Amino acid sequence: MKASLAFCVVLLVFGSVSEAKFDDFEDEEDIVEYDDNDFAEFEDVTEDSVTESPQRVITTEDDEDETTVELEGQDENQEGDFEDADTQEGDTESEPYDDEEFEGYEDKPDTSSSKNKDPITIVDVPAHLQNSWESYYLEILMVTGLLAYIMNYIIGKNKNSRLAQAWFNTHRELLESNFTLVGDDGTNKEATSTGKLNQENEHIYNLWCSGRVCCEGMLIQLRFLKRQDLLNVLARMMRPVSDQVQIKVTMNDEDMDTYVFAVGTRKALVRLQKEMQDLSEFCSDKPKSGAKYGLPDSLAILSEMGEVTEGMMDTKMVHFLTHYADKIESVHFSDQFSGPKIMQEEGQPLKLPDTKRTLLFTFNVPGSGNTYPKDMEALLPLMNMVIYSIDKAKKFRLNREGKQKADKNRARVEENFLKLTHVQRQEAAQSRREEKKRAEKERIMNEEDPEKQRRLEEAALRREQKKLEKKQMKMKQIKVKAM
Amino acid sequence: MSDAWKANKVLKYKPLPVSFSLDDPTLDYMNLLGIIFRMYSLLLKLKWCAWRAVYCSFISLAKHMSSFMPSISAVVTSYLQHPQLMTPFW
Repeated sequence: MKASLAFCVVLLVFGSVSEAKFDDFEDEEDIVEYDDNDFAEFEDVTEDSVTESPQRVITTEDDEDETTVELEGQDENQEGDFEDADTQEGDTESEPYDDEEFEGYEDKPDTSSSKNKDPITIVDVPAHLQNSWESYYLEILMVTGLLAYIMNYIIGKNKNSRLAQAWFNTHRELLESNFTLVGDDGTNKEATSTGKLNQENEHIYNLWCSGRVCCEGMLIQLRFLKRQDLLNVLARMMRPVSDQVQIKVTMNDEDMDTYVFAVGTRKALVRLQKEMQDLSEFCSDKPKSGAKYGLPDSLAILSEMGEVTEGMMDTKMVHFLTHYADKIESVHFSDQFSGPKIMQEEGQPLKLPDTKRTLLFTFNVPGSGNTYPKDMEALLPLMNMVIYSIDKAKKFRLNREGKQKADKNRARVEENFLKLTHVQRQEAAQSRREEKKRAEKERIMNEEDPEKQRRLEEAALRREQKKLEKKQMKMKQIKVKAM
Repeated sequence: MSDAWKANKVLKYKPLPVSFSLDDPTLDYMNLLGIIFRMYSLLLKLKWCAWRAVYCSFISLAKHMSSFMPSISAVVTSYLQHPQLMTPFW
């Protein structure tokens, strides 16, 4: 009984609640609208949901009139939303194809045809992205040039080395018979005969020979062309140049008299006269022809005095110079040799340069650049001439007149030099005096003992007074002499 | 033959001081040109300048070994920055 009563109470409560819900609605239509309004918020979200939800609602209520109206409304709504596009729902039921369906497609073929009118530009693939070596032709050219330079370097260096070795093999016997020491690179503490050429660089080779009567030593320098440098090779095609052998013999002071003499090609002598200190000072005249002594016209003579020329140009020397004139560039004998003129930034040097008694020989290797190792044999007689010249220089002595003239020339040159540098020497002397004074003052200042300081100051004052007195005396004497 | 010898008068070889011959200016100019071309190639990104720098360093290689590697690095750097090919002047 009590359970049934409870169940009735629950039913009543549920019924009252539902009735309260529908109190606002008088008609069944309102109920439907309410139901619709429940889902009104979903109407704008999606059309499908809008279309579907009322259909669901409608189907459940089974109200045919209401369903048809709402369906039509939905169709109207769809058409309102899609003005341009045709809906398929209504049309598909009636016809498979609708002309209106393709209304909007008329423009599309027009646009595609306009696109055909625009030319299509096909851009080439960038060259560096192409897989072809042909596009790298400039880089290949550069690398080829570098390889050519490297090949030329190797070939040129090897050729110079072979030429130097060929020269040394030809002259080794003669040198070893005349000198104790043949070949010294200067690296050891004592002089050591290496018996080898000393390579200075790819185109210059040196050989030092020492231990002979009359001379301190002989330095032979093989100055080849720069065959290892491609630029130089190309330049030589325009202007052929020969390889050269330069020989410098340093004589002992007691084994050579005082004279300056040179013989060689006119062009070389003019150049040497400009460049060399001793030739410019002692041989101021122009190069003279050697025809008087039987020399060919290609050779000229520069001499300090006629006696030297007469003494030097003996039969054997003339024979050497005549037979090998094409290979001789210059021969220079001098007791005042100091090298080329040095132009210092300050002006004239304050001191005369150191001089050495020297015999210099410059020979051209035959071939004018196209030299072969066998051409080195042609230079052997010239080495004989060098040895002969060393002995000749020792034997040749000036007579009394020549000696006086030579001494006079040397005194004249020294006097000229002193005159030119007089002002500079005065300035140098003045600066030295000032430095001395400064040093003395510093010494006095640094002296701790005051008595010693006082004594030093007095001594300095006395010295200065003496100097002043001396100067005054000199001035007086000059005035008296002038009077 | 031995009459000419004087064993007690043997002097040691003294290497000559570096003489200012005509060759030296050329090598110095080449080295200077190499430096200039190297700077231009790195700053203005010109490949042909880098190649010229390599050539100049080759020519002055004997005297200035220090300029060889920087020139090579200039060429490599210019190609890494701009892989485009070198264009001729014409």
